[in-house]
Amino acid sequence: MSWNSLRNLAVLALVCAFALPGRAQSLTVFAAASLKESMDAAASAYQVESGQQVQVSYAASSALARQVEQGAPADVYVSADLAWMDYLQARGLIDAASRHDLLGNALVLIAPAASPARALSLADGDAGAFLERLGEDGRIAVALVDAVPAGRYARAAFESLGLWAALRPHLAEAENVRAALMLVARGETPLGVVYASDALAEPRVHVLATFPAGSHPPIVYPVARVAASTHPRGGDFVRWLQSPHALAIFRRHGFTTPAAGD
Amino acid sequence: MTWDLAFEVRRGGFTRALEVRSEHRVIALVGASGAGKTSLLHAIAGLLRPTRGHVVVDGQCLFDAVRRIDIPAHRRRIGYVFQDARLFPHLDVRGNLLYGLRGDAVREPRFGMEHVVELLGIGPLLARDIHGLSGGETQRVALGRALLSQPKILLLDEPLSMLDMDRRDELLPYLQRVRDDARLPMIYVSHYPDEVRRIADEVHRIPG
Amino acid sequence: MFGFSPQELAAIALSVKVAVVATLCSLPFGIALGWLLARARLRGMLLLDTLLMLPLVVPPVVTGYALLVLFGRQGAIGAFLHDALGITLAFRWTGAALACAIMGFPLMVRAIRLSIEAVDPRLEQAAATLGANRWRVFFGVTLPLAWPGVLAGAVLAFAKALGEFGATITFVSSIPGQTQTISSAIYGLMQVPGGESGIWRLTVVAVAISFCALLLSEWLARRQRANAGTRA
Repeated sequence: MSWNSLRNLAVLALVCAFALPGRAQSLTVFAAASLKESMDAAASAYQVESGQQVQVSYAASSALARQVEQGAPADVYVSADLAWMDYLQARGLIDAASRHDLLGNALVLIAPAASPARALSLADGDAGAFLERLGEDGRIAVALVDAVPAGRYARAAFESLGLWAALRPHLAEAENVRAALMLVARGETPLGVVYASDALAEPRVHVLATFPAGSHPPIVYPVARVAASTHPRGGDFVRWLQSPHALAIFRRHGFTTPAAGD
Repeated sequence: MTWDLAFEVRRGGFTRALEVRSEHRVIALVGASGAGKTSLLHAIAGLLRPTRGHVVVDGQCLFDAVRRIDIPAHRRRIGYVFQDARLFPHLDVRGNLLYGLRGDAVREPRFGMEHVVELLGIGPLLARDIHGLSGGETQRVALGRALLSQPKILLLDEPLSMLDMDRRDELLPYLQRVRDDARLPMIYVSHYPDEVRRIADEVHRIPG
Repeated sequence: MFGFSPQELAAIALSVKVAVVATLCSLPFGIALGWLLARARLRGMLLLDTLLMLPLVVPPVVTGYALLVLFGRQGAIGAFLHDALGITLAFRWTGAALACAIMGFPLMVRAIRLSIEAVDPRLEQAAATLGANRWRVFFGVTLPLAWPGVLAGAVLAFAKALGEFGATITFVSSIPGQTQTISSAIYGLMQVPGGESGIWRLTVVAVAISFCALLLSEWLARRQRANAGTRA
């Protein structure tokens, strides 16, 4: 084989690699970090049922929304709060008809598994128990309180309980809720605020208290098909996520689901 | 004063041996280029470890393979004038001259700054940057620097070979002055026999 | 001032403080290791060199995680530092400085090593014959000749430290006033709808500081090339 034809063959191979649909058949889902285990399980179940391969990408809802805004090739987006879904909808970046409130969650206060299981009271304005638990230089791990949904819920909850001013200097803001979870699991911080589903996923933490549902905006996980997506199964997947089978998977992982009939 | 040099060095692929026993103060080593003369000087100075033998100068043992003596270069009190001078580029002429005048050397300054400067005629050069010096001036500064480190022995490695004929004739008297004034044991290395005869009392050929 | 909020100014001040401390504290180690890699002919130098380059090729978050495991309150070294010496790195600016120092270290060592290698070893030989022991040779000849390159390495490390994000936020989180550097602040602003003006302000500042540092480094590197030779 001459060098010329060898080179032509190489070029042809490269062109094919890029041009062939191949991997693009897979469905790309952007999901909030707190959905890691549950969405993996749901995606596997869907794959078994329908034969459609699903790839899930997890990050903070905010980062994912920004990526979709910049044209990232996602087919479905699941956010951990309404604000970021509204943001994309306002820009016409999601298929509004497909949008649906999929899951709910609770906000919990956690501590490392090795620490005393003494429950912590979330009584209004009483920061004393917290500060005692924190000791001299302990911190409360949360997600970024201005940017990430889990962090914003935590801030809202502390504010409505009158604890914000006292506890704000003691926060350690992590990149996302899973990073906050990791800090508590490793025992680096004595306390943390994460989703109930996160606490369930991590054996090295236990729950000290659940924030009253009224202390923060309702935690809602909306799902929608990305407007720019051309994948034929996008809409089908969004609908499937609302099926009893899928919802059961999420409930097993600690999420709440809308009452049947919603 | 005795030279008792009997050793062998290995450099690259070849070995060189030296065997010199002499009572002359100033001796010369002569040989063709590439004969390994520099390696032999390096060994005497402590910059290269011989594979066997010994180096004893004026009764002081600097190296002995059998008795496991190997005095590090910086403690041998040997003044070495390199073929390429090797002045320090970050110091001016005065800085270079004074580099070796510290520590042990300062306590008994046999060669003072003024004396050396006058001997070598480098007074006008003191504040100069070393990059502007001529070949001859560079070698005189190198010689002065070596002397000011208060050495007990002087080794000169072809100090004139980088210079043209005129500069060489200019510098030779300075070498003779140092030889007579400092009265130090000296080994002079060169591949020009006539030059060597004007400096040394005894000449040894290095087979190359 | 210039329309910066107090939080933004705090982030800028903290970034500069962390970068300066990181650079100054790692400089002695950088010089020692640069010298070792340039001059020492020991076995295992290749391995050492590769280990030192790790922070450049490993994802920053992984480096941050490794720092957390080692230097966090529960970490092997962190617990010792806290109990025995009262030093805490977790969630403090000192931890941010450590993360930045580690991330910038490979750049610093490489620059210093190259500049020491460029110093003619024959000059070091000459110094030895003039009675200088290893230390005097290093401080009297090698270091002065390599100095512009050493400074260049320091400035490179400073610029890297200024822009460091992944390792820092993973190790010490983002705590305004303590560990919220320019990069963390920008990252946070990126996730708030409407945070663009703050992002651009902080970015301009970070780029300006880094740009000056890099220009300085390049100028110093050129001086080094002019300095370290010997007369042939």
